[in-house]
Amino acid sequence: MARAGGITNAVNVGIAVQADWENREFISHISLNVRRLFDFLLQFEATTKSKLATLNEKLDVLERRLEVLEVQVNSASENPSLFI
Amino acid sequence: MAIPVEEAIAALSTFSLEDEQPDVQGLSVSLSCERYATNSPIEYGDVSAYRLSLTEDTKAINQLNTLIQEGKEMASVLYTYRSCVKALPQLPDSMKHSQADLYLETYQVLDLEMSRLREIQRWQASAASKLAADMQRFSRPERLINGPTITHYWSMLRLLDVLVQLDHLKNAKASIPNDFSWYKRTFTQVSAQWQETDSMREELDDLQIFLSTRWAILLNLHAEMFRVNTVEDILHVLIVFCVESLELDFALLYPERHALLRVLPVLVVLATSSEKDSESLYKRVKINRLINIFKNDPVIPAFPDLHLSPASILKELSMYFPNFSSQTRLLTLPAPHEIPPREMQEYQRNYLVINHIGAIRAEHDEFAIRFASAMNQIVILKSTEGADGEWSRDVKGNMYDVVVDGFQLLSKWTGKVWEQCAWKFARPCKDLTHIDTNKSTASYFDYEKVVRWNYSFDERRAMLELISYIKGIGSMMQRCDALVADALWETIHVEVQDFVQDKLDVMLRSTFRKKKDLSRILSDMRTLSADWMANTSKAEPELHSMYQESGEAKTNTFYPRPVAPTAAQVHCLQFLICELVSGGNLRKPGGLFGNSGTGIPIDDLKQLETFFYKLSFFLHILDYTATIGTLTDLGFLWFREFYLESSRVIQFPIECSLPWMLVDHVIESRDAGLIESILMPFDIYNDSAQHALVALKQRFLYDEIEAEVDLCFDLLVLKLSEIIFSYYKSCAACELLDKAFIAASDDSEKYSVQPIRFNEILKLRRVKLLGRTIDLRSLITQRMNKLFRENIDFLFDHFENQDLCAVMELQQLLEVLKLTHKLLMRNLELDSFSLMLNEMQENLSLVSFSSRLVTQIWTEMQNDFLPNFILCNTTQRFVRSPKGANHTTQKASLPNSKAYYYCGNQDLNLAYQNLAELYHEFFGIPHMFAIVQLIGSRSLPLIIRALLDHISNKITTIAPRISGLQEALPKAIGLLPFDGGVAGCHRSIHEQLTWGMKTELKTEALHNLKEIGSAIYFMGLLDIVLRESDTTQFIQTAPWLGFITGSDGQAKQVHGAEGSPIVHLLRTATATIVSNPTCPNPSSFLTMSKQAEAAELLYKTNLKTGSVLEYALAFTSAALDKHYSKWSANPKTGFIDITTSKDFYRIFSGLQFEYLEETVINQSKNHDILGDSVAWAGCTIMYLLGQQLHFELFDFSYQFLNVAEVEGATLMQHGAAKSSVFSQGYENLLEAMRKARRLNNHVFSMLRARCPLEDKVACAIKQSGAPIPRIKFVNTVSAFETLPQKGA
Repeated sequence: MARAGGITNAVNVGIAVQADWENREFISHISLNVRRLFDFLLQFEATTKSKLATLNEKLDVLERRLEVLEVQVNSASENPSLFI
Repeated sequence: MAIPVEEAIAALSTFSLEDEQPDVQGLSVSLSCERYATNSPIEYGDVSAYRLSLTEDTKAINQLNTLIQEGKEMASVLYTYRSCVKALPQLPDSMKHSQADLYLETYQVLDLEMSRLREIQRWQASAASKLAADMQRFSRPERLINGPTITHYWSMLRLLDVLVQLDHLKNAKASIPNDFSWYKRTFTQVSAQWQETDSMREELDDLQIFLSTRWAILLNLHAEMFRVNTVEDILHVLIVFCVESLELDFALLYPERHALLRVLPVLVVLATSSEKDSESLYKRVKINRLINIFKNDPVIPAFPDLHLSPASILKELSMYFPNFSSQTRLLTLPAPHEIPPREMQEYQRNYLVINHIGAIRAEHDEFAIRFASAMNQIVILKSTEGADGEWSRDVKGNMYDVVVDGFQLLSKWTGKVWEQCAWKFARPCKDLTHIDTNKSTASYFDYEKVVRWNYSFDERRAMLELISYIKGIGSMMQRCDALVADALWETIHVEVQDFVQDKLDVMLRSTFRKKKDLSRILSDMRTLSADWMANTSKAEPELHSMYQESGEAKTNTFYPRPVAPTAAQVHCLQFLICELVSGGNLRKPGGLFGNSGTGIPIDDLKQLETFFYKLSFFLHILDYTATIGTLTDLGFLWFREFYLESSRVIQFPIECSLPWMLVDHVIESRDAGLIESILMPFDIYNDSAQHALVALKQRFLYDEIEAEVDLCFDLLVLKLSEIIFSYYKSCAACELLDKAFIAASDDSEKYSVQPIRFNEILKLRRVKLLGRTIDLRSLITQRMNKLFRENIDFLFDHFENQDLCAVMELQQLLEVLKLTHKLLMRNLELDSFSLMLNEMQENLSLVSFSSRLVTQIWTEMQNDFLPNFILCNTTQRFVRSPKGANHTTQKASLPNSKAYYYCGNQDLNLAYQNLAELYHEFFGIPHMFAIVQLIGSRSLPLIIRALLDHISNKITTIAPRISGLQEALPKAIGLLPFDGGVAGCHRSIHEQLTWGMKTELKTEALHNLKEIGSAIYFMGLLDIVLRESDTTQFIQTAPWLGFITGSDGQAKQVHGAEGSPIVHLLRTATATIVSNPTCPNPSSFLTMSKQAEAAELLYKTNLKTGSVLEYALAFTSAALDKHYSKWSANPKTGFIDITTSKDFYRIFSGLQFEYLEETVINQSKNHDILGDSVAWAGCTIMYLLGQQLHFELFDFSYQFLNVAEVEGATLMQHGAAKSSVFSQGYENLLEAMRKARRLNNHVFSMLRARCPLEDKVACAIKQSGAPIPRIKFVNTVSAFETLPQKGA
């Protein structure tokens, strides 16, 4: 019958569909795991960035403190006469 | 190779990926490919494999989809079109000869743009003919080919939508015809020399007609469609499909819903404008249903800043489609601006987010909880080995339901935002007068009227909240994409299998047993999607153990597989269901699932319908990331191409930009609930930048967005740090206010600060902005460091503009600032406060003992305090003399003093100001405390030294004055005669004090004496304060140093051989540690014990501090040494010479007498200028010169008092009658003298206590009996002798 089309070779189609389901299971599995890998990388990047930023902040503070100390030491060592 | 994928992935989770960053931003990364499951990534190439004879249909779908893609690109070209003519240069008169060159250049530039328009014209013509052909082919009643499928319907509708949008854009863009006419003019100029221009001219005319005709595209489409009179059927079907989908509103996400709403009026117009019976449509769809739909949504969003209105479209089109103009019921629908006010309210209620926000909030909260719990269950399920099959299916099914709900919520919310925007664009703010009366309404941009002033305060708040919800839920769902994906696939798989294997099986066996043709369709459905092997293969080892279940093989259980159906499968299933219920008949009356004629029972029909709509939603779920991306895309809030064009500006200021308005709202309102959403509006920028690049493909738009974001972000950081700073400052100020005072005040709430949570904002180390990662925290830290420095600087400036009394205020404000710093340090890594203070005081150097503050204090003392302040001995305060010169540099009031430089907010500022005002008028002990605290022991010596020098200078200065006065006195002054009585005394004193001509010398001497006195008294105050702080320190350190109170009340140190308690304690601790073999590195303990010894030494020496006052007196005494010979006549006889007039006490006595006399005559004159300091200076000098006794014996006033006493006593004996006569005229003078005597006695007694001289004087008598005139007393071991004397 023309109207509803109708699958002409139902058995073969059925077998192919079945094989397709199985193949696609494999594909889904792989693609999902790739996505998980990717997710991990993203998250890893993000957290690493945060950790680096924290480190950077600490270094910044240290650097500024050092600068001040340097200035203080310089001011002292430039006037050695005051310490005699 | 040996490690299985699953295990390897699982191993990744052992990495610690924790991070403090809170989630206050939307999605930052979304990876997506261009094609999603919703429109088959392989262009339905796999449909043919199912052998359903759908080849024609698939081909048509792909063709339409390609057209849709192209059409969208055309639309973005039109939407982003900006007038070129505006940018064309005008030639100056001097260059008129090269006009032709300009024409050519212009032509070439415009030709490029016009070629794009030409392309659009060509494209729409081909698209219209293709669509029409497609419709005709698939609407033949004889059904030679299968189709159209549902997917096909959608493609047709979408293409139609694109065409309508394109038409609408073409109508709305005024710059296009403008540019075109310019183009045509240049063409005529340029083409004069060309040959063969006829075809070009023709083409140009065509284009002109196309561009200048409204609705040209639709008219063209109409013509193409009705070339053959068979498309009504398919139009009707499409209308029915639209109406049903809209009415059901289940599987529609907002973009689809809006598309249907846009297309529907056009479809109706097309369907009713045919030659045939135009009423046939209403046989299939009741007109009321249409009217209801149009009425429900009078405004539909089309483009970011352009809306459509069905009523207006219908009205406008009726002019172009004559047949349609008879549809009066549709034409009487009111356009948005015609809606009567009462209905208006109704619509307003519906369109404005603010009226729904309560419900949305509840939905959000409930959903967030449900989603989190569903997630937790999934996680538990994954970590459970061999979970029960049913439970696992429940959990996954639950997750699926939650995700569906989430998508629907997101779709609803984002749709609401779109609709509100469209509504706002349709209803511009009319009443602008309240905003700024200086500006006339005309001077506002239209865009300002529809956006900037069109959102009220609460509306902005609601909008922001809604945006946060959308972005929050979006990122929450996106984050667990990979985690839930297999659960979702599995559930979909289950749903499909359950339907095709179970439900269809039942149907096949019952309802359709007799109907061969229909049951064929059912079995086709089973064939193309059933996964039979899932039942049997569960024991196979290669399948994943996670899904293993111990289920016995029930007939109806099947093994779930985490694989979803493909787009083609869904497509075919939908097609078959349609075939089943419609019987393949396009003309079937009623709707798709209207039960008529097919003979399918209602129950089955219901099941089919549910499954049908579920199928269309599956695809959205499969496109998880892409769907979330679309549903949370709020980029449209930024775009304003239409308004830019109509306002004739290049870009609007950022105040008109909705995202910035929202950020600004958070900053201005300081709403504690919104602070954490402050970054959400920046996601709008992210979205719009993405849209500009990916969808519109326009670099210039991206550049504009980028520029705006740069500006906004800078402003944000600036304003955010300011509000954070002022918030913490008010917290600090509030904490430092006296609690008892607050409790007693009537409006104590005024002084409490509403808590705001900034700490989450302060943790943001990576903010994603246009693909960049920004460390917001470090930016804020930087700004804070700067703000603190600016604030300190400001406070010093403020102090420098006031007199010395303001030191209390300075101290208070610095205290507040210090506490602010402490509070902020809990969340931020700032520079240390003392460091910043030193920096701003220019006191960083190790060898500098001066500082900005010290310099200022000393300058202030020298220039203002010492000359202009007078001492009041009773209150121990200095006050500004009312007669004294005013502070010269006073009150150059500081510009732009912001509230947060003081205490954060107005109320607290006022409170602190009132508090500071109490200390503004005098200088006393509290001020001295403030000075000591601010300057610290490091710089205090500088002030002391400066003061001492000042004293010695002043003494040098008065020396000549004194000698001048000495010269004017008679050589000898005797005792006052008693016989003359009071009046006689008075006369005789006047005779002796012959200073009539020397008033100037006198005042100068007095003034200098006053300054000396003030300085000495200042030292006295300083001494009191230092004593107090020393005592406090002593009490704190005494137990550690082993001091106890001895029997005589003096402290004495008691400790044995082991040293003081602190040394002993640390030493024994170290010894214990060292002897313990388990301690690997005792060196730090050894250091600690050494440090304890050092500390003991340091603190012990600190205990023996001398007295500042005593030191100052000793110094003064040394300074007086130079003048000793002049001011203290050495008696030749060795005995007291009572008649000498050269001694200092004589001078002072004279000065004091005259001074008292003047005071009596003019109450305010002298005392207001000099105060009690003169007595302090005079007495101190006399005392140090050893003339105290002389003074007490021979002072004029004292003698005068004695006389008056004797006289008074005599008079008393003679009766009181004359007493009134006696006291007349002298009462006040006597009183003043008594007062002076009391004061002098006080000073002398103080001096005797602090600087004892008597016993030394007593023993300073030679054995011969002659007194030694002057001895050096040694009560202070005279550090001053080692000091280099100034000018010595």
